[in-house]
Amino acid sequence: MINVEKLNNVLQSFVSGTADVQGAAVVTPDGLPLATMLPSGMDDERVAAMSAAILSLGERIGKELVRGLVDRIFVQGDKGYGILTSCGEDAVFLVLAGESAKQGLVMLEIKRTVSELMQLLV
Amino acid sequence: MQIMRLIVTGPVGAGKSTFIQSVSEIQVVDTDRRATDATTLSLKHKTTVAFDFGRLQFSPKMALHLYGTPGQARFDFMWDLLICKAHIYMLLVAAHRPHEFRYARRMLSFMQHRSRAPYIVGITHTDKEGAWELEDLPIALGLLDETTRPPLVVVNPRDAESVKRSIVVLIRHFIQQRKDQKAPPRAATAVTIAS
Repeated sequence: MINVEKLNNVLQSFVSGTADVQGAAVVTPDGLPLATMLPSGMDDERVAAMSAAILSLGERIGKELVRGLVDRIFVQGDKGYGILTSCGEDAVFLVLAGESAKQGLVMLEIKRTVSELMQLLV
Repeated sequence: MQIMRLIVTGPVGAGKSTFIQSVSEIQVVDTDRRATDATTLSLKHKTTVAFDFGRLQFSPKMALHLYGTPGQARFDFMWDLLICKAHIYMLLVAAHRPHEFRYARRMLSFMQHRSRAPYIVGITHTDKEGAWELEDLPIALGLLDETTRPPLVVVNPRDAESVKRSIVVLIRHFIQQRKDQKAPPRAATAVTIAS
């Protein structure tokens, strides 16, 4: 049984503890939300579905264009980043960060958080 | 060489991915994921989360690019992306799941809001228990006006011949619509010149 409360706690401490991170979500690979901490006005079902769609296309590119297993998908816009990281077979971790976020720091925190999340999802 | 984009849409489990797999000459680019929601799971194990893509050389001068949408409404941003580029589209509806007719109507109005491309309705699963009669389906799908109603075809997505026949009906409908559309503007021009 997945402990949703712990999942939410991990998300919350990630979002509030990392500078310039605006939101995060853990979703299933078929696009349903498991836990979300998103900026107001963002619909979690929609965000979950979009994460699943882009991850599946990214993985397809990894396979067909021989890029190997996909670790992460990075969307960089002039207002910030969207970073998708695979979180085992059953989940995907989405992070939304502002344009001033320090990439190295965010990546390190994502890595740490993903390993925490994976333990909760087994 | 003309390339036509055909979008295959419809509720979960109508047969969209199977439809494309049956006729595509290339290995279909699919984006299947293990399903976890109850509605989808009651029908199948895997579900499309972005789109399916296949290709069919329809005639020496025309190639079809076939795109299949996801069925669930949470993926409506994909519906939007795909339908806006469509030349033609087909709504697939399973005849034996009447509780989905209303949802299929919603999908159709979503598409019609965004696209004026010609479409037809493909009726699948007509051999299943509880399948509705073909003549009752247009009313159930809200296609009441017989003069503007699109063609309805029975299609078995597993059977390549059946899928091809439905595509022929769709292309004919497309050509017919284009002819019909061309007629009025010409008349309008004539009036302008006369005045």
